[in-house]
Amino acid sequence: MSHSNKKILYGVIGVFVIAAVIFALYNYAGQEAFIRTTLSGLTLGSLFFLVAAGLTLIFGLMDVLNFAHGSMFMLGAYAGWQFYTNPTFIFGVLPLVLAFATGVMLIPLVKPLLVRLNLSDAWQNRLPKLLYVAALIVTVLAIMKFDILGLAQTAMVAATTTSSNPLAELSPQEPLSRFLWRPLLLMISGALVAVGVSKPGDRTEISAPEPLRKRLLFPIVLFVLTIVFTLIRESASEGVLLMDGNLRFLLAIVAATLFGFLLGALIEITMIRPLYVRPFFIVLMTLGLSFVLRELVQVLWDPLAYQMVRPPLFAQPGRATTIAEWLMNGSSTISIAGVTFPTYRLFVIVLGVVMFVFVTLLMTRSRLGMIIRAGVQDPQMVEALGINVKQVFTVVFALGVALAALGGIGAAPFLPVQPMMGDQYQMQGFITIVIGGMGSYVGAFVGAIVLGMARAFGDYFALKLQLSPTIAEASTVIIMIIVLLLRPQGLFGKKD
Amino acid sequence: MTETTDTNNYLLSVENIDTYIGQFHILEGVSVNVAKGSITVLLGRNGAGKTTTLKTIMGLTPPRNGKVIFDDQEIQGKRAFNIANLGIGYVPENRAIFRALTVMENLKLAERKKGDLDRHADFIFELFPDLSRLSKLKGNQLSGGQQQMLAVARALVPDNKLLLIDEPSEGLAPILIQQMMEAIRKLKETTTILLVEQNFIMASQLAERYVIIDDGKSVHRGLMSDLVLNQDLIHQYLGASIQAPTSRSEA
Repeated sequence: MSHSNKKILYGVIGVFVIAAVIFALYNYAGQEAFIRTTLSGLTLGSLFFLVAAGLTLIFGLMDVLNFAHGSMFMLGAYAGWQFYTNPTFIFGVLPLVLAFATGVMLIPLVKPLLVRLNLSDAWQNRLPKLLYVAALIVTVLAIMKFDILGLAQTAMVAATTTSSNPLAELSPQEPLSRFLWRPLLLMISGALVAVGVSKPGDRTEISAPEPLRKRLLFPIVLFVLTIVFTLIRESASEGVLLMDGNLRFLLAIVAATLFGFLLGALIEITMIRPLYVRPFFIVLMTLGLSFVLRELVQVLWDPLAYQMVRPPLFAQPGRATTIAEWLMNGSSTISIAGVTFPTYRLFVIVLGVVMFVFVTLLMTRSRLGMIIRAGVQDPQMVEALGINVKQVFTVVFALGVALAALGGIGAAPFLPVQPMMGDQYQMQGFITIVIGGMGSYVGAFVGAIVLGMARAFGDYFALKLQLSPTIAEASTVIIMIIVLLLRPQGLFGKKD
Repeated sequence: MTETTDTNNYLLSVENIDTYIGQFHILEGVSVNVAKGSITVLLGRNGAGKTTTLKTIMGLTPPRNGKVIFDDQEIQGKRAFNIANLGIGYVPENRAIFRALTVMENLKLAERKKGDLDRHADFIFELFPDLSRLSKLKGNQLSGGQQQMLAVARALVPDNKLLLIDEPSEGLAPILIQQMMEAIRKLKETTTILLVEQNFIMASQLAERYVIIDDGKSVHRGLMSDLVLNQDLIHQYLGASIQAPTSRSEA
């Protein structure tokens, strides 16, 4: 039998099996339970997809298994929750981060000058190290006595009290006159790092610099942002809290996703890039990173579970019968074919589908997608065409982390926000991409739906037949084993 | 056979490069000069280091010692994408086109500036008419010959000053070899080419100059017109791996 005939046959068998399973479940559970469980499954599947999409993109292009992906999910939830509930912490720390970044971003500006210096080999080696030590000292000076824990606590206060006026929870911060030298020092620290990273005196690094206008763009933009956010450090929190709740939630989603993107870029550049030649170390490094991030979150916000308040659009008691009615009243539940279902979960399903469409368009229609698809096969040849593959790796890693962070903030309004919340999703994410085929985003989507359904129906049967609830968790692994036995490369994976 | 030492005539000078792959010392002092507007061919047995020489120029396997000077700039140690952007096009062996991309996408990907493909599309499709007919097919649906055409076409999308072409005739049917030769001959009118070619007939008809690489060293160089007369040299270094010009009638 020819290859394509075989494909069609498998496809037909697959569709038939799926139809049979759906029919059996429908008959067994009855319409109401079937629809309710299916919708729960889709909600879970949507979150699984957001985690798995990043994992599979990153693995497909870079062969990196990111074991910190669950932590990114968790951090996305924290970032969004903080922004939504009380952004004091975010706006308090942002000027410092921006100031440091401004300094570091001087690299393209100073590098062309520094590499031309006449330095002996010994100094070429010694100088960067001295600069890093100096930067560290300046950084310590800059953040000395900065009450970072106090800042973090303010959000906890807001989260644990149900005050109708969020502004009441804002605590006064350091006056600007005392705060001002912190970003200044951090800018200097960042600049010291920039000089060190530029490898002064290393003549092999000489290359034609980009036009000055281009090199100035980043530092100037960051510098202006630093000044702006230093000035609005306190008023910004107020402004955000006075906003309409739905708009604030939308911004929280954007903030968490952006945070994920930047964090991903930072991690790739500083920690993963030096380890591409030793793939096993990347596994250990990301695993270690996940522990560090989890502990960091526990230090800042205590090992507690927080419940994020649902935005107004999903919070009013009452059941809507149509989507229009829900959007008008902000009902917390909606009736779908006679089944009452939380509107927020419906939103999560929509979010997952929208992101699948986004990833599909990105991969099939954009130049970046073209580079990724080519890079999966042969990154060296992509580089030889004149494309900076390292940069593409950074962008893809950042994109993957951004998707995980988006999943985190998406989950925050109905899952407890706590340091371990990402672990389970990371595990399911890995199972998803094994089922779907490593590197395939379509596979991640299908795998996520299959897993979500398995979990939901597993829970349903566990309850109905009075089985152990772990049967639901086991079901996903059982599916993985079956898929691996029948199709080791995964449903949509390519044989290499 | 006189080589001038004046490097100003050369678009590319490879000076005494040493390249390691892992712990293996692959190139042990290879020097190659390529004059502007000419075709120079690297000859040698399988495994002599011809492909590694091209990869070293391209920055894919950076040299440990020696210099690579392109367009009066030292480029050794630079990253491959930077080297490519200086105006070097690379056609790897084994038709390393992107199988998951369509023909059009393969070409689009090679653009360095927006509009590169539009500007050169007529020229490319005139050289390889098949490609315009197949533009919507994926790389893995093409035949070996079509893939090879695409690999060469891809290097023509941006404005390149130098093309590094690795074994364009490998595995091609005789009629396609003829077509490939015509294409390369046409390319020569506008660019400079460094070619690796096992097919001696093709090499001898296209190239003005040759460099023989043997066991990681460049051992002989000169005018192609001299080499075709020197059967001893051909047998000594190229042996059975090439078809001697007399052993086969021209296709």
